[in-house]
Amino acid sequence: MNLNENYLDTDVPKRQLRPSKSGNFDSIPIVAATSEPTTSVNLDETFFRKAASPVLITDERSVSRSTSINSLNTAYLASSRPFSQVRKFQARNNLLSADLISNNDDKSQPPKIQKKNSDLYSDWGNDIRSRVAESIYSMETSVRGSEIRRRPYVSNEIPNIFKLPNPNHVNEPDASQVLRDKNFLIFTSAGKPVYSMHGKDEQIMSYTGLVNTVISYFQVNGPSDLKTISTFASGQRLTFLDKSPILLMAQSERGESSNELLNQLDFLYSYILSSLSERQLLRLFSKRENFDLRNYLETTDFENLNEICSLICNRMFPDLLLNSLQCLPFRHSSRLKLQDLMLQQLDKRQDIPRGTLLYGLIIAPQNKLCCVLRPKGHTLHTTDLHLLFCLISHQFQNLDETQELWVPICFPKFNSSGFLYCYIKFLPNDADNNEKSALVLISAQKDAFFSLKTFSDELVAKLEGERLLKKINASKGFKLSDIPAPMVHHFIYKSKQNVQYVMPHFEINSSISLDSPQGLEYELKLKTYYQQLHGTVVRDNGNLLSRSILNFVKWSSKDKEDTTVDGMGMTFSELDEYIIGNSSFEQESVNMLGMAWVTPKFELYLIGNNGVVDKKVLFKSARKVVNWCQKHESRLFISDGAVF
Amino acid sequence: MLQFKLVLLGDSSVGKSSIVHRFVKDTFDELRESTIGAAFLSQSITIHPNDGNEANAKGVVVKFEIWDTAGQERYKSLAPMYYRNANAALVVYDITQEDSLQKARNWVDELKNKVGDDDLVIYLLGNKVDLCLGTPDAEISQESNEDGDNEQKVRAISTEEAKQYAQEQGLLFREVSAKTGEGVKDIFQEIGEKLYDLKRDEILSKQNRQINGGNNGQVDIHLQRPSTNDPTSCCS
Repeated sequence: MNLNENYLDTDVPKRQLRPSKSGNFDSIPIVAATSEPTTSVNLDETFFRKAASPVLITDERSVSRSTSINSLNTAYLASSRPFSQVRKFQARNNLLSADLISNNDDKSQPPKIQKKNSDLYSDWGNDIRSRVAESIYSMETSVRGSEIRRRPYVSNEIPNIFKLPNPNHVNEPDASQVLRDKNFLIFTSAGKPVYSMHGKDEQIMSYTGLVNTVISYFQVNGPSDLKTISTFASGQRLTFLDKSPILLMAQSERGESSNELLNQLDFLYSYILSSLSERQLLRLFSKRENFDLRNYLETTDFENLNEICSLICNRMFPDLLLNSLQCLPFRHSSRLKLQDLMLQQLDKRQDIPRGTLLYGLIIAPQNKLCCVLRPKGHTLHTTDLHLLFCLISHQFQNLDETQELWVPICFPKFNSSGFLYCYIKFLPNDADNNEKSALVLISAQKDAFFSLKTFSDELVAKLEGERLLKKINASKGFKLSDIPAPMVHHFIYKSKQNVQYVMPHFEINSSISLDSPQGLEYELKLKTYYQQLHGTVVRDNGNLLSRSILNFVKWSSKDKEDTTVDGMGMTFSELDEYIIGNSSFEQESVNMLGMAWVTPKFELYLIGNNGVVDKKVLFKSARKVVNWCQKHESRLFISDGAVF
Repeated sequence: MLQFKLVLLGDSSVGKSSIVHRFVKDTFDELRESTIGAAFLSQSITIHPNDGNEANAKGVVVKFEIWDTAGQERYKSLAPMYYRNANAALVVYDITQEDSLQKARNWVDELKNKVGDDDLVIYLLGNKVDLCLGTPDAEISQESNEDGDNEQKVRAISTEEAKQYAQEQGLLFREVSAKTGEGVKDIFQEIGEKLYDLKRDEILSKQNRQINGGNNGQVDIHLQRPSTNDPTSCCS
């Protein structure tokens, strides 16, 4: 194999690193052997109770220092102590540590506090056990099934080293601030605003002039590759997409490549087309060049654009980056059965004229593709499917199985000037959660609803008869612990042939919901890691650098540099400030190693646990991941689908 | 069992989907997403017709197949597909939105022109009365300033105005609230009875035919109006 190894250790932009705040007392030495995941044990009251008295804090801090060293060097020892002494546990994302309080034989611990807290946190015991167990299962040393308390306590959370927006403010329509770290603007060629992710009309108006000037500069200079303006001083990047009569602009400080931004703009443009179709769009503007498109778009369109923008900017949405679909892991035999049933049903309904049913899809919750029915030689473009998935997960989230939808959608990559008609029905789910899978039947004929309805009714009855619906609803994906690959925090494996990817569940504290600010912060963090990893294997035009690549990327911080970075306007979230203000915050040292591995067959993007700095160790795990994915390929991916 | 096709028409965000959901599931959702395309639902009710037919003493089950269409202008060209075979049309407006009644009038005109069938029951519905409980009609003229912050919105269309229009056009009329459920069930009851009256002869003859055919008393009657217009002409 041609391994093109690039080490980027020194290339990490310093300003993106976060300083460690050592405070005015000796920093906790976090010394981990290279192959060991990071551990940090923190013993402090202030994490949990705002009103802790200063005396107590000092007390506890001294305890903290001694035990943390102790428990690091003898992880097993510390862990074998009774759980009653583990009083609190908190895993804040950017604290990145499982803070365990084990004050076992420490006489310095005032008994008063222990008593006070024991009832407060008594029910934490079980919770902690399970969460600690979750957080360590990627350790090779952990024996599955053995008693939890014999396991080492480690955190496999990853540090936040990027300058990211505070997710608390992400959804706030803060009108005063147009220039965010990321923004999307859509204009017409005549300079009328159509959509802006942030900022009101009055504020973005001034941009129209700028954008138009820039675009006409591009036009005057003939077809040129120049689509992006980058300023290195501020790290700003402005990328333009000219789809006259529509102009789109992305502004970003997040270090995305121009190609990535162009893809994102193209996705926004595709949404507009999916709603209007290109033919209609051109017709609207052919009559009047200064047509105000906003009069034609509806509230739903703006809501959907908002949703798509926030998906692109704030969520872990590798679909666009990797240009592939996420697939529902499903037992191979069940998937075959599912495909068989769909084909049988198609055979049975010979009365449905050929061509009425173009595609059939079953989409599991969280937009995972479960099954495809398609004509031979035709597949749907991933962009088209992403658009459909976005609609299903957002627009129709309030609907249930009692209604069936008939929705005209233009699939821009299939045919940008015409509409297809989608029969959408949510499938019944006995479980209480609000997760529904959907059956989508796509037709080119606008009056095919009732024939597709019968098709669907019979198919759903069969699926229920064969208990396949239950299986779809019960399919839960996989966890990192299912794979014997130690030291790995998270990975994305893309099968190139199938244009599909899989990734394990997020390794996130179970008490944090994915929609909470912490959950969003985690997604954003993970997203940024992957973005940078992916950036190392592609050219600026989006093509892979070479057929086979193996890149290691290292993110690390050095304390001295960090203090200088601090002066450059690093911002902390409120919680950070609070913790730092109480001198209890110990910034974990950052030693992250990521890996991008591209071969003609697959792409693997992998993030190691913090503290894993040995490339060999990570590569060994990566091979295990790849072996596992290839072994379970028929379960993880849809290879052909039901072809008729 | 009788089966009737029903379509909801009207401007966007007047509350068509909310009315349907109140009827079908008896729920109300403040934050309903706009419908795109159209949604198909069904719900059955029992009516008690006074026609002296002994077979119907226990009441007649009427199943409504409902097309809840999108009010947005963009989907207007698809509407004929939904109302073409309908037995009844609910034309909805928002009593706090002046121009939604005009849109409703346009729909009524379109129905009368394109369908041109006296058997089509058209029901004019003013929705959102819960917003205007505090402002009786008499005060409308005095209410001139628009207070945006106030939940209590100003009634923009008086009951008399709409009622008069409905009488002129021969429409059924009612003001309802999908939020409180006020009047919603009654609409469908009324439509069921009205359609039953209109189709009584047809229904009875079909019933007899099926019973004579030895269908074990299971009577399923689909009343589909013949298509009144060329399917290609309505979707231009």
